[in-house]
Amino acid sequence: MINYTESKIYTVSKLNKYIKKLFENDFNLQDIWILGEISNFKLHSSGHMYFVLKDKESQIKCVMFRGNNCNLRFTPGDGMKVKVRGDVSVYEKRGEYQLYVREIIEAGKGELYLAFERLKEKLKDEGLFSEEIKKKLPFIPHNIAVITSPTGAAIRDVITISLRRFPNLSILVVPSLVQGTFAAKEMAKKIDFLNKYFKDLDFIIICRGGGSLEELWAFNEEILARSIYNSKIPIVSAVGHETDFTISDFVADLRSPTPSAAAEMTIPDKNNLINNLSLLKSKISRAVKRNLELKTENLNSLSSSLKYQGPENKINQYYQYIDEFSARLNSRIKHRVELYEERIKKDSQRLGSLNPWAIIERGYSICRKIPGKEIIKRLEQIEVGAKMEVIISDGKILSKVEKKEVVSN
Amino acid sequence: MKTKKKIEDIPFEEYLRKLENIVQRLEEGELTLDESVMIYEEGMNISKICLEKLNKTKKKIEQLVIESEEKYSTKPFSEKEGEDAINEF
Repeated sequence: MINYTESKIYTVSKLNKYIKKLFENDFNLQDIWILGEISNFKLHSSGHMYFVLKDKESQIKCVMFRGNNCNLRFTPGDGMKVKVRGDVSVYEKRGEYQLYVREIIEAGKGELYLAFERLKEKLKDEGLFSEEIKKKLPFIPHNIAVITSPTGAAIRDVITISLRRFPNLSILVVPSLVQGTFAAKEMAKKIDFLNKYFKDLDFIIICRGGGSLEELWAFNEEILARSIYNSKIPIVSAVGHETDFTISDFVADLRSPTPSAAAEMTIPDKNNLINNLSLLKSKISRAVKRNLELKTENLNSLSSSLKYQGPENKINQYYQYIDEFSARLNSRIKHRVELYEERIKKDSQRLGSLNPWAIIERGYSICRKIPGKEIIKRLEQIEVGAKMEVIISDGKILSKVEKKEVVSN
Repeated sequence: MKTKKKIEDIPFEEYLRKLENIVQRLEEGELTLDESVMIYEEGMNISKICLEKLNKTKKKIEQLVIESEEKYSTKPFSEKEGEDAINEF
């Protein structure tokens, strides 16, 4: 605690923190109801509400945070007489004390509201609202029942929207009073009746359109709450407008803000479902086709690599080898033939130069003995007086040897 | 599933999940040819069942007439009859 010695000096924030603690520890300032008139009301874009609560002599700053004001049944405004419930505390940043509001009710509506609160607390403590006991609604309902006034806009909306979303739906309309002294009892009995004779209902919608708190009161009665709780068939509660909360809403397995919304929430859109189905179907077909294509591709690439390594390829290789080989052979033989041809040409040339006639043309002659035609190369082969022929280029000369003489060269 | 449940007992959304599962398995592309043919047939069969489930009920809008605690009847719903339709027991 603060020690008031002259030497001790505190920071502002420490001081404010201390004061705040004083407020919060004071039981008389926590969870209290205050009656007053709203003034200077501002709804901030953050969703928090700021206003001043005043009476003739005095005023106090109030703030109601979004988390608390989202369930308000009305929009507060300047000049409105209200009862607010909250805690007084300090906004340290500015050093201002203010009322942190948790609930606002319009003054004058207090009685019903308090009855509502009391029943709500009681049933909550008994576990009637607990999430674990809430039954799940089937995804595709086939048979539903609607407990409501047969003449109101509510039943028309529910039927129209339900059939628009799911054209082949079986709807059992269970006409009932929905306001007045007997309404709650009647709706409760009808829930029990349906549970007895219509066990195969997918769910029951109990609904009515908007109205004042008094008009919606049947949905805040204990007898109906208990019937909803005991129902084996799931119950959807759809009462009034978005801002209206009833005990039925809390006990029901599903709460819808309005009757139309009940149909939207509980009846699936058949067209969507069918589109979704055909999408899945075409996805399946596409995937199978692609799998097949992939496998075919795989097979093709495998079989082509098999061909590459198989005997056919080897044979082809041999074919090629043979082709190459025979070409080589061909060229060799050709070469050889050419060589021979060359040689023959040369030989025949040489043969030409050796032709004796060619020598005779140049002036030489040949002498042959007569008879015998023996070519005379030496003196001893012939005798003086013997006959011989001399062959020259264009004929022969018959001659007789006159004399032999040795010539030395 | 150990025991074979009847088609009527298996909810639509379970079949829808099966169908989505089939799409996923096929798109992963790791099935053999036989498996994908089998799963394809299963998928087509399931989508048929789903459609049947959607078309199972006939459109019917009736009004409950309670005659006593044990007796009741139904008749076609008509808005015109107004408040007379509300019957107490």
